[in-house]
This record gives sequence, structure tokens and C-alpha cells, in this order.
Amino acid sequence: MKKSFMLLVVSLAFVLSLAPNLFAEVGVTDTEIHIGQWGPQTGPAAAWGSVARGTGAYFQWINDNGGIHGRKIVYHMFDDGYNPAKTVAGVKELQEGTGIFAWASGVGTSPGMAVKDYLAQNNVPWVGPAAGSLNWVNPPQRNLFAVYPLYDGEAKALVRYAVEKMGKKKVAVAYLNDEYGKNGLRGAQEELKAHGLKTVAEVSFEAADSDLNPHVMKLKQSEADMVLLWTTVTHAAKVVGISKAMKFEPQFMSTSTCSDFPLMMSITKGTWEGVICATFGELPDSDYPAIIKYKKEVFDKYAAKEERWGIFYYAGILFVEPMIEALKNVGPDLTREKFITEMEKIKGFKGLGAEVNFKPFDKNDMYSRQGASQTFLIQCLAEGKAKKLTEWMDIK
Amino acid sequence: MTDLIQMIVSGIATGSSYALMGLAMVIIYKTSEVPNFAQGEMALISSFFAMMLLTSFNLNVYLAFSLAFLFAAVLGCFLEFAVLRRAKEPNVLGMIVITIGIEMVILGFVSWKFGAEQKTMPFPIDPYDSLFIGDIFLKKLDILTLVSALGLMVVLFVFFRFSKLGLAMKATQQNSVAARIVGVRTNRILMTTWGISSLVGAVAGLLISPTIMHPYMMWDPMLKGFAAAVMGGMTSLPGAVVAAYMLGIIENLFGGYISIEFKTVVAFVIIVAVLCFKPSGLFARHYVKKV
Repeated sequence: MKKSFMLLVVSLAFVLSLAPNLFAEVGVTDTEIHIGQWGPQTGPAAAWGSVARGTGAYFQWINDNGGIHGRKIVYHMFDDGYNPAKTVAGVKELQEGTGIFAWASGVGTSPGMAVKDYLAQNNVPWVGPAAGSLNWVNPPQRNLFAVYPLYDGEAKALVRYAVEKMGKKKVAVAYLNDEYGKNGLRGAQEELKAHGLKTVAEVSFEAADSDLNPHVMKLKQSEADMVLLWTTVTHAAKVVGISKAMKFEPQFMSTSTCSDFPLMMSITKGTWEGVICATFGELPDSDYPAIIKYKKEVFDKYAAKEERWGIFYYAGILFVEPMIEALKNVGPDLTREKFITEMEKIKGFKGLGAEVNFKPFDKNDMYSRQGASQTFLIQCLAEGKAKKLTEWMDIK
Repeated sequence: MTDLIQMIVSGIATGSSYALMGLAMVIIYKTSEVPNFAQGEMALISSFFAMMLLTSFNLNVYLAFSLAFLFAAVLGCFLEFAVLRRAKEPNVLGMIVITIGIEMVILGFVSWKFGAEQKTMPFPIDPYDSLFIGDIFLKKLDILTLVSALGLMVVLFVFFRFSKLGLAMKATQQNSVAARIVGVRTNRILMTTWGISSLVGAVAGLLISPTIMHPYMMWDPMLKGFAAAVMGGMTSLPGAVVAAYMLGIIENLFGGYISIEFKTVVAFVIIVAVLCFKPSGLFARHYVKKV
């Protein structure tokens, strides 16, 4: 009897000793919060690798300023080379090996799509994918919070400006033949339809296309007075340059992806001047307080020497600001459920980008998970400076 | 009619960079029967080397390009000497795998050293300056590429046909044992071939760089150059050039009149068709070893 009792006590003690681990949230300890992110540091999209580096520097700054409720962020970033197969492998390895509390940002529609269902099935929070794809929120998922304004919203804003403010009537769309490009095309079509117009040409590009003369010829044949570019940075630069060579000079407009004006001016040898883009964040050289603060306290202190304070670098901060806000609001007792609840409570949050608003989960309302639906338009001036054409516009 | 002429002219312009890459691939294949899949990246690193000389060392463009050509030639020789020659009992498949390995190493190195952000090479001719003949436009840079491709084709053709070294290269390809017996130093010949090929590839790289530079910029020209070389018969220099121009023109016409979505793949459909009906390519006469 005594023996059995002792055995019971020892067993109970053993179970209780394990209890904190049994009931603790994945990726959270008393001193650490494990957050993961993928970002292409090599491969065709490596120019957007600065997003992840921006997030890394931001987390470092948070840690050096005391962390969140006494916990430091342990940031796990891996290079997926913009290859969805590598994204899946990396996410699973970190999720099942190390244990990640939540995923932050992550560049690209295709890599994100490859892990979207996996993260949903495991109810792992994911905040701020670095792409404005409709796929994140249509249909909405409980664990996924989008911060990047939708591409089709950007396209609508640009077309609306071209038609209403500039009097353009013949709009052509040059788009990448994938989800990203088609989101832009769809937005343009819908906005034109609302104005009783149609596209005069829709020219698709394949990612591997390097000879763009036939594409530009088609755009020229359409006699478009506005061409909307929803392509890669390289394609957009070439289209504008070849158009100049062909003496085809419509108003070019483009997505936020091509809104890094210093870069665009440098690779187009100045032909990007005059192009109008949508954007998702305050301008890099603006006197907006958060821009000044992060440049001074995060970029100047933590960025590598060769890094540039461009929109994609601080996009890495912008996309995860709501995540940090929610982590702070949860308090010391951090669980995924509490974190999701706090994310849902975010209203009128203004960081470096558009105002962010989430709602309690509603499977019929994509705006319960699409936090930002504002953009503003900028025009490229000489030397890569930007002129603000509009204030933040609500586009739904 | 103007559109048709414009598409043909644009096709010729596009075909010129394919032709340069095709020539570079044919040169190596002519002596070693190895398609060199590192050709694009060898041109890539030479272009970035020129860019580094121009931007970090502020050299003038002609000196920087001359040094880049020298670098390309030395790189080609080095790769043959240090990597390919070390292969034990190599067969063609093994050599191809080695060239793919070299391609990956160079690509990784360029991404790491020079970063992935797009750049452009400072160049005396603006890549978007053009000439107009009536309504037909042609970019000045394309004219330079066209002249370079045709000029190099003639020089290489004469070199292989009439020079002692050129004949030795041909002999090495046809029967390396016999070539060695008659005193041809086949190892040295192979090394020289790689040097010349790398130099020709670098011309293509340097002419693409003023438009846009990034680590993947040579991938498409290399594939199309390879396609042209296959179409031309892999051993014929004029064949590769003519096939490259055909490819450029067909791509443009197909994109203009049939489908722009499938413009890129049409090149490979044509290759399959050519290889089905004329496996040795359009222009090559293959040397057949008799037992």
C-alpha cells in the first residue's frame, strides 16, 4: 500500500514537473518568443530580400529595448530563394523542429501559397505576407492577417486617377502571367467597367521573357494613352525604355512593387521619370515621425553597410508592426489564441503604412483579415524623388 | 507591312545576342563535344567584373572592357585547367554535370558578391537610343550587337578554317588520340578553346549589361543560344548564327501574330521539330567515326 502510494506521488511529481512544457504555447518560453520568416536572399526575387533584413533589424531593436514583456524575440529567417518547395521545407523544419509561435511577413505570392494551408491546419498565426494578393483573404483564414493593400485595389486607384484626373480613355495593361499580374489586371478591368470603359490591350509577360519588343509593339499598336504595368521590376524598366526607343510615350503607371524610385531611375537610365505608382508606405525621405524614428534607431544602427533605406527595407518593419502591437497587448500570458484575439482588436493602427483595421473572424467578410485597404499615388521625379499626387485613398 | 518589317528587324536584333551565346557554345562543342551549361554564368561574372572596374575603380569604359575580356579568357582557361581536366575518366555526361556545377557556383558567387538588386552598366551608347528608318526603329545598341555577332562569326570561321591553331582544334575534336600522335597538345588546345569561348560569351554579356544586370540575366540568352547552336548543328559557326537569327525572327513573328504567351516556348518547339526531321541540325555535317 505504502509502496503504491509512493509510486503514485513520484508519478504525479514527474507529470507536474512536465506540466509547464505540456501546457506552454509552442514557440514561447519565459524568456523567448520564436518568430519565423522566409525571404529570398538568393534567386530571382532576391532584390526583395531586404524585407526580411528590415524585419530582422526591427526585432533586434525591440530586443535591445527590453523585448516584449520580458521576452526576447528569437528571429528565425531562412532563404527560400523564392522557391515554393524550399519555403515548404523550411517552414515545416522550423515549425516541427524548433517550434515557431507565429510567422512574420514572407516575400511572394507563390511561396506564401505553398505554406498557407499548412499554417492554417496547424492554426499558426501568420501576419503581413509581403504581397498584396487576394489569395490571402479570399476566403479569409482565422490565422492569417494581411497588411499589404490588395493589388487589385492599387490597380483600381491608379485607373481611377488616370480616368478621372488625367482624362485618359485608352488604358492598356501589361501584366505578369501569374497571380500577381492577374490581380492587377482584374482591378483595372473592374475600375474601367465602373467608368463604362474597357482595356484597349492586355499584354501578358512570362517571367522568363527577356525580349520585350513584341510586347511593346502590341502596346503601341493599341494606341493606349495610359499603360498600367503589373510586371516584374526588370520587365517594367525594359518596357518603359523600349517604349522610349519606339517613340511610344503614354502615361505609364505601375504597382507598389515598382515604386522604389531611386532603383527604377537607376536601372532605366532616367526613363522612369514621370511614371506614377501606387504605394503602401510613407515615403523614405518624408518627415513622417515614424520614418524618421525607424531610420535613425533601426536602420542607422542595425543595417549592414551596403544596405539602402528603400521602401522594401522598411516594408519589413511595416508588415510586422501590427504583430508587435498585438504581442504587447496580449500581456505576459502569451498564447496563440490570445494573440489572435488581440490582432482582431487592432483598429485604426497607424504605423509606417496604411491604417490597419481587423475584425473578429467572419468567413464571409474578407476585410476581417485584410487589414489595410488604403494606398496613395506618387509620381517619379528627376533623381528618383517622389511627388505625392494624392493622400491615402480608401479602395475596396 | 510596317509591323511585319519591324518584327523582322526586332527579331534580327534579338537574334544577335542569341548568336553570340550560340557561337560561344559551338566553339567548346567543336573541340570537346561538351555542351557548356556554364557559358551564361561565365559571361555573367565577366560582365560583373567589368561593372566592378567601372564603379569601384573608376576605370574608363574601354580599359574596363579590355580587362574584362582578358579576365574572361583567363577564366575560361582556368576552368578547363583546374576543373574539367581533373575529371577522372570523364564521359560526356559527367562533363555536362561538371559544367552545371560550375554554373551554380558562379551564380552563387555573383549573387553573394554583387547582390541581387538590378543594375545597369555605364556604357557609351544609351541602351534606349534608337535610329528610325521611316517608321522602323532599331536601337543603336542592337546595331552594335549585330555587328559584333557577325564580325565575330567571320573571324572565328576564318580562324577555324585557316589558322594552325584552329585546325588543331578541329583535329582534337575529330580524333584526339590521332591529334596527339601527330604532335597536337590536345590539353592545351582544349584550354585555349575554353578561353576563346569565354571571351565570345563575355562580348554577349557586356552588350546585354547596359540594359539590365542581375544574377539571372544570362539565363534566357544562354538557353536561346544553346537552342540556336542545336538547331545549327552544334559544330557549325555560321549555322549557329543563322539559326539564332531565325529563332529571333520566328519568336517576334509568333509573338506579334499568333500568341505572345507562348512566344518563349516556340523556340524549343522548333528545336524538337528540327531534331525530329534533321537530327544533325540544319547546317552541320557530322564527322562520323568509321571503325
